[in-house]
Amino acid sequence: MKKNWWKILAVVLLVFTVVAGMLSDVPRLAILNETIRNLYFHVPMWFGMILILLVSVIYSIKYLRNPTIKNDIIAYEAAKVGILFGVLGIITGMEWARFTWGEYWSNDPKQNASAIGLLIYFAYLVLRSSFNEQQQRARISAVYNIFAFAALIPLLFILPRLTDSLHPGNGGNPGFNAYDLDSRLRMIFYPAVLGWTLLGIWIINVKSRLELIRQRLYETV
Amino acid sequence: MKLFRILAVWCFILFAAAGIQQVQAQPEQREVEFSSAPQQEVEMADTLRQDGKIYVVVIVLVTILAGMIAYLVTLDRKVTRLEKQMRD
Repeated sequence: MKKNWWKILAVVLLVFTVVAGMLSDVPRLAILNETIRNLYFHVPMWFGMILILLVSVIYSIKYLRNPTIKNDIIAYEAAKVGILFGVLGIITGMEWARFTWGEYWSNDPKQNASAIGLLIYFAYLVLRSSFNEQQQRARISAVYNIFAFAALIPLLFILPRLTDSLHPGNGGNPGFNAYDLDSRLRMIFYPAVLGWTLLGIWIINVKSRLELIRQRLYETV
Repeated sequence: MKLFRILAVWCFILFAAAGIQQVQAQPEQREVEFSSAPQQEVEMADTLRQDGKIYVVVIVLVTILAGMIAYLVTLDRKVTRLEKQMRD
């Protein structure tokens, strides 16, 4: 029970996100209207993806320093959950874009860059599945994972800011400061990020424990 | 035991949310714009129908979230049981 407090925290934060996210006051902005509430659901997918992929990279580095099966499994499961968050982020982004920017895909620099970033991570899954030998697979995919993360950061946070973009915070827009006026949004946004990230970590926790049991079963049989 | 505590937290959140709704709803209920019998306020369970029925959406979202989390909790417990079996 004491070890699982963060799972309860995740549930509480997510319920708070949904209830307060739908019922709280939000700024009345043209075009965006009520869709500004997507800030509590679409944006945390990306924040969560970055944090979870960071967990994956940390375990990849740990694997290279100390090659245990556990480090490899956590790195792999975290990468898979991170990719899930990214795919959900890109789909929700397209749905949101359809009704505010007019098109599902308007070749916005950030849209394109995040699609490339996801493709890099899909390649991670393909690369991983192409090895039979466990140690080779773990080592090479750990190295690739570090490069993939290093490529993702400029793709999402630097390159889109150098040109004009529809996303806030790019091409000289004030960015996240646009919401500075509204501490109301932040009051729900930050708990939302934490809640969704903890949910992802919970899934990683369950999946990697299951995978470890499976590995141990193969060893004994 | 763990499940009971989660259920308790869950109930607390639901009641807290219901409390917030009532606090928000009260000032609005006083202004009756149109009524066949003025001066007389008929008590109805209006909360869920207010604000373009947004509360219905909240209920649906919370239900989906609850279902997902309940599924994850059962998975978690199954894995814990497996881990115990492996240790023995």
